[in-house]
Amino acid sequence: MNFYNSKTDSDLTLLEPTLAEYGDESENLITVLQSAQEIYGYLPTDVIIHIHNRMCIPVTKIIGVATFYSQFRLTPIGKYLIMLCKGTACHVNGSDGIYEAISEYLNITDGETTEDGLFTIKCVACLGCCSLSPVMMVNDDTYGTLTPEKAVNILKELAEKEEK
Amino acid sequence: MQIKITIDGKEIITDSNKSILEIASENGINIPNMCYDPLVEAYGGCGLCTVEAEGFPKLLRACATKPSEGMVIHTDSDRVKQSRKVALELLLTDHTGDCKAPCTKACPAGTDCQGYVGLIANGEFEEAVKLIREKVPFPSSIGRVCPHPCEKACRRQYVDSAVSIAFLKSFAADKFLGDTSLLPQKEENSGKSVAVIGGGPAGLTAAYFLALKGHNVTVFEQMPKMGGMLRYGIPEYRLPKATLDKEIEFIKSAGITFKNNINIGKDISFDSIKNDYDAVVVAAGAWKSSKMRVPGEDLDGVFGGIDFLREVSLGGKPAIGKNVAVCGGGNTAMDACRTAVRLGAENVYVIYRRTKDEMPADPQEILESEEEGVIYKYLANPIEFTESNGHVSGVVLQKMKLGDPDESGRRRPEPIEGETERISLDSVIMAIGQAPNLSGFEALEQTRKGTVAASESNFSTSVDGVFAIGDVSNKGADIAIAAIGEAEKAAKVIDAYLHGIKTEYRKPFLVERDDSEIDYSGFAKAERAVMPQISPEVRKNSFVEVNKGFSDEQAINEAKRCLECGCHDYYECKLVKYADENDVSYKRLCGEKHSRNTEDRSELISRNADKCVLCGLCVRICDKVIGKSAVGLVDRGFGTSVIPEFGKKLAETDCTFCGMCVDKCPTGALREKSGAEKALVVKENSKITVCELCEKRCPIDVRFIGDTITRIKPYGKDTVLCKKGKFDLLSDKTLLQK
Amino acid sequence: MMKVAVGEGSCGIAAGALKAYDVLEQKLNSENELTVTGCIGMCYLEPIVDVYNGNELHRFVRVTPEIAEKIADAVNSSDFSNSAEYEISDDDKSFLSSQTRIALRHCGVINPEKIEDYTEDGGYEAIKKCVTQMTPEEVIEEIKISGLAGRGGAGFPTWFKWNAAKNSEGNEKYLICNADEGDPGAFMDRAVIESDPHTLIEGMLIGAYAIGAKQAIVYVRAEYPLAVKRLKKAIKQAREHGFVGENIFGTDFSCDFKIKAGAGAFVCGEETALIESLEGSRGMPRLKPPFPAQSGFLHKPSNINNVETFANVAWIIQNGGEKFAEMGTETSKGTKVFALTGKINKGGLVEIPMGKTLRDVIFGIGGGIRDGKKFKAVQMGGPSGGCIPEDLLDTVIDYKALSATGAIMGSGGMVVMDESTCMVGMAKFFLDFTAKESCGKCTHCRIGTKRMLEILTRITEGEGKEEDIDLLDELCYSIKDGALCGLGQTAPNPVLTTLKYFRDEYTDHIENKHCTAHECAKLRKYKINADACKGCTACARKCPTGAISGAVKSAHKIDRDICIGCGSCLSACRFGAVEVE
Repeated sequence: MNFYNSKTDSDLTLLEPTLAEYGDESENLITVLQSAQEIYGYLPTDVIIHIHNRMCIPVTKIIGVATFYSQFRLTPIGKYLIMLCKGTACHVNGSDGIYEAISEYLNITDGETTEDGLFTIKCVACLGCCSLSPVMMVNDDTYGTLTPEKAVNILKELAEKEEK
Repeated sequence: MQIKITIDGKEIITDSNKSILEIASENGINIPNMCYDPLVEAYGGCGLCTVEAEGFPKLLRACATKPSEGMVIHTDSDRVKQSRKVALELLLTDHTGDCKAPCTKACPAGTDCQGYVGLIANGEFEEAVKLIREKVPFPSSIGRVCPHPCEKACRRQYVDSAVSIAFLKSFAADKFLGDTSLLPQKEENSGKSVAVIGGGPAGLTAAYFLALKGHNVTVFEQMPKMGGMLRYGIPEYRLPKATLDKEIEFIKSAGITFKNNINIGKDISFDSIKNDYDAVVVAAGAWKSSKMRVPGEDLDGVFGGIDFLREVSLGGKPAIGKNVAVCGGGNTAMDACRTAVRLGAENVYVIYRRTKDEMPADPQEILESEEEGVIYKYLANPIEFTESNGHVSGVVLQKMKLGDPDESGRRRPEPIEGETERISLDSVIMAIGQAPNLSGFEALEQTRKGTVAASESNFSTSVDGVFAIGDVSNKGADIAIAAIGEAEKAAKVIDAYLHGIKTEYRKPFLVERDDSEIDYSGFAKAERAVMPQISPEVRKNSFVEVNKGFSDEQAINEAKRCLECGCHDYYECKLVKYADENDVSYKRLCGEKHSRNTEDRSELISRNADKCVLCGLCVRICDKVIGKSAVGLVDRGFGTSVIPEFGKKLAETDCTFCGMCVDKCPTGALREKSGAEKALVVKENSKITVCELCEKRCPIDVRFIGDTITRIKPYGKDTVLCKKGKFDLLSDKTLLQK
Repeated sequence: MMKVAVGEGSCGIAAGALKAYDVLEQKLNSENELTVTGCIGMCYLEPIVDVYNGNELHRFVRVTPEIAEKIADAVNSSDFSNSAEYEISDDDKSFLSSQTRIALRHCGVINPEKIEDYTEDGGYEAIKKCVTQMTPEEVIEEIKISGLAGRGGAGFPTWFKWNAAKNSEGNEKYLICNADEGDPGAFMDRAVIESDPHTLIEGMLIGAYAIGAKQAIVYVRAEYPLAVKRLKKAIKQAREHGFVGENIFGTDFSCDFKIKAGAGAFVCGEETALIESLEGSRGMPRLKPPFPAQSGFLHKPSNINNVETFANVAWIIQNGGEKFAEMGTETSKGTKVFALTGKINKGGLVEIPMGKTLRDVIFGIGGGIRDGKKFKAVQMGGPSGGCIPEDLLDTVIDYKALSATGAIMGSGGMVVMDESTCMVGMAKFFLDFTAKESCGKCTHCRIGTKRMLEILTRITEGEGKEEDIDLLDELCYSIKDGALCGLGQTAPNPVLTTLKYFRDEYTDHIENKHCTAHECAKLRKYKINADACKGCTACARKCPTGAISGAVKSAHKIDRDICIGCGSCLSACRFGAVEVE
C-alpha cells in the first residue's frame, strides 16, 4: 500500500475546530482522523504530521490506525466515491456482476480512481440495505436493486452531468 | 496465592499470579513461543504457546493464562501439537529466506562453508579450521581434491563467479597442518570398542568422530598405509602424500589404533572382528575398476584406472608407452591422463562419448590437462581394441552424436552409422567406474549393484552392530566428501547405538529460496582469486603439486566475496528451531507470499520484512519499554507489516539504536551490524560482563569468536541496553582483554 | 385532518422515500400533518407511506412520486377509493401481523426525531422506575428473570455481564453499546437506531444504572450516517429533557452519552477490539482474561451489549421479566429480530418469539423463495455462522438448536439462498470477508484464513486438488483451536457447514470441474442453441478469444477449447440463444 503522499500545502486551519474539541485526548484519534478526511477528502501527509504534533501521538501509530480501518484513505479519491456493497445479500443477488460491469466501464479496479479523477470504486462490507440488494452508494446517494446495465447507466448520467 | 497444578504430569506448587508459560519455564518445561517477552505484556499473536487444560473446551494461550488450583495442563497433547504445527506451517508459508547458504546445503558433508569463509574473511583462520573439522577431519586434503559441489551452488556466480570455497579450506587448514593442539576435547572413555574396516576418507572420518566420543577405535586397512583413495587414487601433483600423512597423524592423535596390511577374509575373518568389537564400520571402498565390455579389453596394455593410479602411488612405473588412451570423462580419467603425461607419454588421449559440456570431470581439471597437452576425443566410443602380438595396438572409435535427453537430463549419445576412427596406441587406461570387492564380507546382504546394503538413514546393515558407509555401500563409488558426510552422520548413529539408543540421521528442517528469486544487481563485481600454479611446461614433467596456494591477502579478499546467503540468525531463530522440532511440512499450505524486498544492509540495524512473523515485539518494546515509536504496524490481515514511520529509514525516525528490537526479534527479520568486518554466522562464544560506559552498569553478553567480537546482547531478561552498550562498545578493543 | 407518515429509514430513502415526501409536501393540504417514521421492516415494499385517518390506517407501498400524488389527492379529498390499488395487500399485511414486536415495537410507528413520540408511548418511564423505585440489584434481578441473552451473537446472559461489571471494583465504569453491526447481511441494529433511538438510550441508561456507570458510549458503524445523525439528535433531546446528564429524575444517578463512530473494521464487533478502537488504536483484540468487566475501556470495568439487547431492556422493566420469559424456549427467552434477505419473496425485518422454526420465518412470514425457485440453504450468523440446508428447516430458533446445526443464532442476519447459489462460492465469499477483515494479529487467522481462501478460490476455478477437502478440514479445526479471538475462531464455520451439508458440491467442483449452480464463472460451459440462434454475429464479435464461429444468418458455434467462459456471448445475445450447460 502506498501510505506516503508528499502533500505539504494542506490548509491546516480547517482542522482547528476539530482539534480544539477532540485534540486533547489520544483516544479521540479516530474521530479526529474522520473529521480530517471529511475536510480533505483523504489523509494528506502534512495533516498526519500536524495531528501528530498537536495530539502527541506517534506518526507510526497514526499510520497504523489509518491503514487498519477501511474507512481511511491516504491517497485522494475521485469526485464520486462509488461504494459497492459486497454484503451477503448483495453477493447472493449478484454484486459480482455489478462490480465487473462498473469496473469494466470505468476501467479501474477496487480502490482505484479514474484518470479524470471523477470516480473511485470501493467495495465495502455491507451498507445495511440488504433488502434492496444489490446496492451501491455514490457519495451520499444509495441505489438499490441494481443490474449491471442500471449501475453503468447511473455512472454514465453522472459523467454526462460533469461534462456540462 | 500458592496453588498446586500439574503440567505434563509434573506436580507444581506455584504462585497463582504467574502465567502458565512462566511457571512451565521455571520448571524446565519449554513451551514454544515467539511473541512473548517478560519486558512487555502478553500479546497472544503467534499462537504457538497454546496448551490444553483438562476440563477446558478451548486451548489456552500459556502466555496469558494464569492457572487455577488443581489445573491439569498438557503442553504436548496431540491437539496442542497439531495446533502448534499448523501455526508454524502457516508462518513458514509467508517466510522467505535461506536458513543455510546454498554452498553449505550442497556439501554432502554439510560443511559450514559460509561459516568458515566468513571466519577466513575476518582473519580467524584457526577458528575456520576448527569449524571445518566439525564435519571434515582432513580439510587440507579435501580442499585440494574435492570437486566442490559447494562452488557449483555458490550464488556469487550470478554476480561474477563462485567463491573459491574449496581452496579457502585447504588454505586455512595448511596453516595448522599436523597441529594436534587443535584437537577437540575428547569425551571420557566409554569402554566400548569399534572396528573400522577401511582406512580411507569414510573409515578415518568415522574413526575420528567415534574416538572423540570416547570409544576405542581400531582401523583395519589392506594397504600398507592409511588414506585409501586419497592416497592410492589421487596423484601426488594434486595431493602431496606429505600433506595427507600429516592429516592422518592428526586424526590418529584422537587415539585410534591403525592396523595396516590386513585383508579381511584372508588375514582375519569378518566374523572374528564382529565378535571382538562392540560395533563394526565397513568402509572398505570400491577398488575394482569396472569393465566396458568391449572386445580386446583384456589384452595386455589395458589398465584399470584405479589399478594404474595405485601402482603409480606405490612407486611403480606402469609400462604405458608413448601413445595412451584414457577412456572415461570423470575425475579418475583426469587423474589418469595427467599421470600418464607425467610418466612420459607423448600422446595422451581422453575418449568420451559425449561432449565437453556433459563431462562430469571438474572443468578446471579439463583445462589444466589440456594445458599439459592431453588430446580430447569427444563424441567417440571405443568399439574394439586392436591387437598386435597379444598386446593392445590401437582402438576403433565409433563416432557419436547427441540425441534426446535421457532420464538424467543429459543428451543421450547415439552412434553415427558407418563413421569410425582408428588410433594407434601402446596402452589404454579404463577409467569408467569402480566397484567394491566384497570377498570376505559375504555375511552382509548386498544390493543388486554388488555393494553392501545399508540403511540410508542409520547406515545399519543386515547384521546387527555392523554399519556400512562410503563407496562400499548402497549406490557405490562417489566423491570423497560424500563418504566423509556419511561417516560423520554414521558416527553419531553408532555412538548412540553404543549407548543402547536406536536413532537415525534426519535432515534438519531448513527454509530455502530459489536462486532465481534473488536480485543480484546490487552487488559490486569482484573476480574470483586466481590460484597460482606451476606452469604447464614444468609441471607436465613433475609430480610436484600444481597449485601453490593462496597468500593470506588473497584468501581474505576471496573470502570477502561471499554474499552471506545463509540467514544471520540461524543459530538464534526460534522459527527454524521449532519447525525442526515439530516436524513441519508446510508446502501443502503454500500460497501467496509477500516479497517486500526491504532488506537494508546499510544501517546499524537492518530489517528484512520477508522474514517477519509479526510477533510485534519490536513495535511493543520500542513503544512500551523504550518510549519511542520508530516502527509501527501498518495495514491489517495478511497484508499487515511492520515499517518505520512513512516507510523511512530508521535513522530518520526517533530510533535511538538501542538494538532492543533486534535482540527480541525471534527470527532474522531484524539484525544488528556485526562487530566483525565481514558478518559471521557461526556459533559464538559468550562472556558475561558489564557495560561500563555509564553508571547503570548494565549486564551484557559479549559474543565473540577467536579475537573477533561479533556483537553485544543485553544479559538477563530485564536488561534494557542503549546504543552505547549495544553498538558503541563494539569498537572498545579493551573489552577483548576482559 | 390526517397524519401522513413517510418511512424514512435508509432502505426507504434508497428506494425513493425522499421523492415521495417531496411530492406529499407540495401537494398535501396544510391542515394535514406530514411526518416521517423510521423503518417498519417491510423493506421489500419500500417506500411506504402511512396515512392515519382517525383510527383508520391506509398503508401505501412501493410509493413512486406518481403514487404519492395520488395519495395526496386521496388525503386532500378524504376519498381513498381511487388509491386503494396502491395500498398494502392482505397477504403482505400478514408479514407484520405474524410478528411479535418488542425490540422493534416503535419502529416505523413513531417519528425517531421527535422525543415526544417516544415519551407519549411510555418512553423513559422504565428508567424512571429504575432510578426512583429499584436498586441496581433489583434491576439486574429483573433482567435475570427475563432470561435476556446477548443478541449480538454469542447469547451470553445479560444479567451475568451486568452483575460482573457491577461487582468490579472502581468508581469509574463504562457502559458501551456495540452498534458496529458488521455482519454482512444484517441491518437490525441500523433499523433500531434510525427508527427508535430513544429505546436504545433508555436501555443503556438502565444498564448504566445497574452497573454503576456514569458514562455511556455508543460505538456505531461509520457506514450508518443516518443512524449517527438520529442518535445524536436523540441524545440531545434526551439531555434537554433531563433523561441524560446529571441527577436524572432528581436522583443522584447521572449518566452522560458519547457517540464514537467506527471506521470500518468487522473485528471491532469483538469486545476487546472494540475497546481498542474506542481508545483510538488499531482494533486488534486483547487477550482475555482480563475480561472487559474487570478491565475494559481505559482499563476500567466496562460492559458491552449490542443494540438489540438494549432495545429489549426498557420493555422488560416496564412489563416485567416474567412476561418476557413467557416467550421462547427452555434455553432462549423472548423474541429475536432477523434481517431476512436474499432470494426471498418478502425481505425485511422480522421479530418473532424464540421457538418458531426457520420454516415459519422463511416460508411463513417471508413468503418463500423468489421467482418460484427452489430453496437451497439459509445462512445465519454471517461470517461466524453457517449454512443450514432444507432438511433442517424445522429447526427451532433457539441458541442451542441452531448451534447444533453448525450455524449460530448470530446477530440476526438470515440470508436465503436458492439453487442458483454455489455453496463453495458462498464459503469462499465468507472467507474472503474474514481474510480481509482479519486484524492480522494472530497467525492462525492472519495466514490461515488467507490459505483457506486460496484453496476455496482454486476449487471454484476448477483447479481444486483431490486433497483440498482434507486440507480445508485440517485448517478449519486448527484455526478454530488456535485463533486468538472470536472472529478467527468462528471463521471456519461457513466452510465447515457447507462441507457438512453440501460436500457433493465440493467434490463436483474438484472432480468434475462442475458447478451445479452455474455460479462459478470459470467452470461455466456455454453453448449456442442452434434453433434460437439468428446468426446475427453479435456474440462472435464480443468474444475476446475468437471462440465463436459461424456464417451470418446461420447458427453459430462455440469452440470449447478456445472458450474461456467469460460470458460475453451470453450478455451479447439478444435472442436467448446462448445457454449455460
